[in-house]
Amino acid sequence: MSQRRKLIQKILMYFIYVLLAVLFISPIIYVFVASLKNDDQIVSDMSSIRAFLLTGALSLDNYVTIISKVNFFKFFKNSMIVAVIFVSLSTVLNGMAGYALGMLNFKGKKVLVSLVIALSIIPTEAIIINRFIVVYKLGLLNSYLGLSLPIVGYPLYIFLYYNHFRNMPRELLEAAIVDGASYSKVFWNIMIPLSKPIISTIVIMGFIRSWGDLLWPTLATRDETYRTLPLALRALNNDIYTYWGQIFAFSSLMILPVLIIFLVFQKQFVSSLTSSGIKG
Amino acid sequence: MPVIILISVFTIIPFLMSVSYSFTNKLLYPKPNVTTKFIGIQNYLKLLTSSTTMGALKNTFLYALMVVPAIIILGTVLAVLVNTELKGVKTFRMIYFSPQVVTMTVVAVIWSFFLAPNNYGLVNSFIGLFGIPAQRWLQDKNQALFCIAVMDIWQNLGMQMLIILGGLQYISGELYEAAMMDGCNSWQKFWNITVPGLKYTLIYVSVSMTIGALKLFTQVYVLTNGGPQDSTTTVVYLLYKAGFINGQLGYSSAISVVFFIIVMIISELQNKVLEGK
Repeated sequence: MSQRRKLIQKILMYFIYVLLAVLFISPIIYVFVASLKNDDQIVSDMSSIRAFLLTGALSLDNYVTIISKVNFFKFFKNSMIVAVIFVSLSTVLNGMAGYALGMLNFKGKKVLVSLVIALSIIPTEAIIINRFIVVYKLGLLNSYLGLSLPIVGYPLYIFLYYNHFRNMPRELLEAAIVDGASYSKVFWNIMIPLSKPIISTIVIMGFIRSWGDLLWPTLATRDETYRTLPLALRALNNDIYTYWGQIFAFSSLMILPVLIIFLVFQKQFVSSLTSSGIKG
Repeated sequence: MPVIILISVFTIIPFLMSVSYSFTNKLLYPKPNVTTKFIGIQNYLKLLTSSTTMGALKNTFLYALMVVPAIIILGTVLAVLVNTELKGVKTFRMIYFSPQVVTMTVVAVIWSFFLAPNNYGLVNSFIGLFGIPAQRWLQDKNQALFCIAVMDIWQNLGMQMLIILGGLQYISGELYEAAMMDGCNSWQKFWNITVPGLKYTLIYVSVSMTIGALKLFTQVYVLTNGGPQDSTTTVVYLLYKAGFINGQLGYSSAISVVFFIIVMIISELQNKVLEGK
């Protein structure tokens, strides 16, 4: 291939890359841009390219309104507490289960492994109404625990951990046990540091899941006190008069934490996604 | 293992409840004049004869048929495109992945704004440039489900691209070199090496995307509440509505069980195919 043709091909590739990038990222940029405009401006800019540009009068008014009037930080706090309880418990507890199944030998292990695989097929959605009844009977409706605890035990995460620990060298475990370490000590001091990619994958997956979940919080909350962000955004969107500026300011603040977490963990996350191949 | 207790309480018990309630006329909020009793397969018969339920099943499958092939084809094309060593390509991969980070509720809200049914809507203005009249999108019973599918594709494509990219990197470069020696063109290389090499990745992606598509709820709940004219009522939306809004726990449980069986069959098919590897 001639030098010239190679160059043209390269330029063409970049052209396609940029075009696609615009397609994927412009709606996200739009949210941030529109959140700085007032409602009239948003509507009048809507039919042209100006929608994506920082034109006209810009202000932080929408942010002020959603923080003072819509009480954004109350919902933010709710979502954050639920996400932190969920992510920390599910990362550790499912990890322990995966460690036990993948590395230790005990009676009934085979049965448990097949049980986990079978359970991971049950879609949450199929049991959600009766899960609601269980949570109601336990008196956990309308509480942080009620919002987070039921989704902590997640067969898919156990399975991912199980796959990870199963492929780790057993000698590591045996050597430590010979040195007098307990199984739980080995887990905390040796296994966790060696499992960073899988842990960050599960942290990100879990955070995105908990942050965006709408169905379970719809059932598990009774009033505004424990309402999470997606529910509050839906309520804002379903108001009789739609304040678009506020909705976009709300959305911007809502996606920011996920964006930050993603940027912090992205390296491990992407490598773990691409290297997992068909395992996903 | 504490997680076993959690799973038993919040997954296994509700599952067993679903199965047993599906044979009763149980209500979510008991009424004094109605006693819960065993009614055999009546719920299942009702489900089979109800036009709403069958409509929801149809919508759900139709939705999967729109989303899954599009994701497979576009995802593969995208993965091949970014499978180069060009400078900055990693950044582009991240950008394509970024919609995944945006919470679905937010995605739904943004797109509903873009798809505003009047002349000023962004999408309507854009197609207006080509002389196409304004469409009603989410308020049109023939277009609403399609609009939701486009949102879903936009959000998920980057993630699936990364998974397929992972599959691409397992295909050995020697195969391509050999093909080049034999004088194959790019198209032939794609069909004869890339596609067969990706077989298992694509099966995985299609099954997980199918199951994901069958669970459609959030967008419907945020945007259309199942309308217009039930055209976006999906199975999960229906079981939520029947159980939680209408309080027909027995009937809703029956829908759950049917939904579970459908998902199970699809997962089983995946295992069968992957085991043949």
